[in-house]
Amino acid sequence: MHDVSVWRIAVIVLLAALGVFMFIKMSKIKPVEKEDEHYQEIKGKRGKFRNIGMIALWIASGLFFGMFMEKSEGLHVSINAERVNLFGIDFNSSILISLCASLLVIVAAVLIRIFVIPKFSDQPKGLQNVLEILVETLDGYVKEKTGMVNENLTAYFLSLGILLVASALLELFSLRPPIADLTVTASMALVTFVLINFYGIRKKGVGGRLKQLAQPMAIVAPFKFLSDIAVPISLACRLFGNMLGGMIVMHLLYMALGAFGVGIPAVAGLFFNAFHPGIQIYIFITLSLTFIGEAVEDPEGEHHDAQPHGQKA
Amino acid sequence: METGLIAIGAGIAVLTGLGAGIGMGIATGKAAEATARQPEVTGKINSVLILGLALTESTAIYGFVTALMIMFTMGA
Repeated sequence: MHDVSVWRIAVIVLLAALGVFMFIKMSKIKPVEKEDEHYQEIKGKRGKFRNIGMIALWIASGLFFGMFMEKSEGLHVSINAERVNLFGIDFNSSILISLCASLLVIVAAVLIRIFVIPKFSDQPKGLQNVLEILVETLDGYVKEKTGMVNENLTAYFLSLGILLVASALLELFSLRPPIADLTVTASMALVTFVLINFYGIRKKGVGGRLKQLAQPMAIVAPFKFLSDIAVPISLACRLFGNMLGGMIVMHLLYMALGAFGVGIPAVAGLFFNAFHPGIQIYIFITLSLTFIGEAVEDPEGEHHDAQPHGQKA
Repeated sequence: METGLIAIGAGIAVLTGLGAGIGMGIATGKAAEATARQPEVTGKINSVLILGLALTESTAIYGFVTALMIMFTMGA
């Protein structure tokens, strides 16, 4: 503890009392219906008391926590996850955190399997609705993107999406998210690469897959080969860069706010830790499905011109 | 190596944000036009817009990743 004076404590107590007093005063004023003639006036008064109370409590909390916090020495971010030593084995911390995320997801899945799925009925309600909508939407999406009904792909991408969302949300507990690590995203992109080639070869055979490289002319074959190799790299770098960027912005925010980091990071975290990863995971799944669809596509199909070549870069 | 040169290199790498910004602006403007012309397909336009924005943004992200790699592997 440092920098503790009577004045500081007095200011903290005073501000906290002011904040609580303002909230009490706000609750004394009863909110009225919209049709009431004093609606605007009463709403403004309540808002004023609420804002003053919140700001007073915020400053008080910042001053209070500032008594216990050491001064921060700047930004500590690295592009590699830190190593942890567990039972004498040197681990990458991403492995442990992603194992935690999968454990959470597996426990949730087992609970749903035991308690919810036996109760499924013909008239769905509650959680059954949610699960059915989830599976049906993704089933339709896979069919729309790849042009084939495939339960394996649905299952894989649904579990991938849930795992990625879970590991992104772990950042809210100030853990380093596993997908802000290039090794994790690269392994997921590698699985996509294997899937692309597996479905392409199963549909057309090795010869057909190679022949597809030489279309429309033989001279483009090296470039097409390169752009095929670039797919997993770009998928991995996209997810990794976005997650790392969000993480750095949040670290900067925490560093700038210091002891006053109460409340404000929650609002920013809603965007950078919840919404933004969701969009990126959606993009990851969409692009994977698009490339798989491109690999299994009929060469004489009418959609040949509508291929998203520009997305490969 | 000189720290200053590494910093300049990282700065040049994040210039990709310039193109991404222009592209995202054009895409959003077109989406606004399309919504104004046909408000009944706003949902579809929105989903296409989000997909396109994320793809455009990824070029900026590649530059960002490159800059970070320059800083952390060379600067250390």
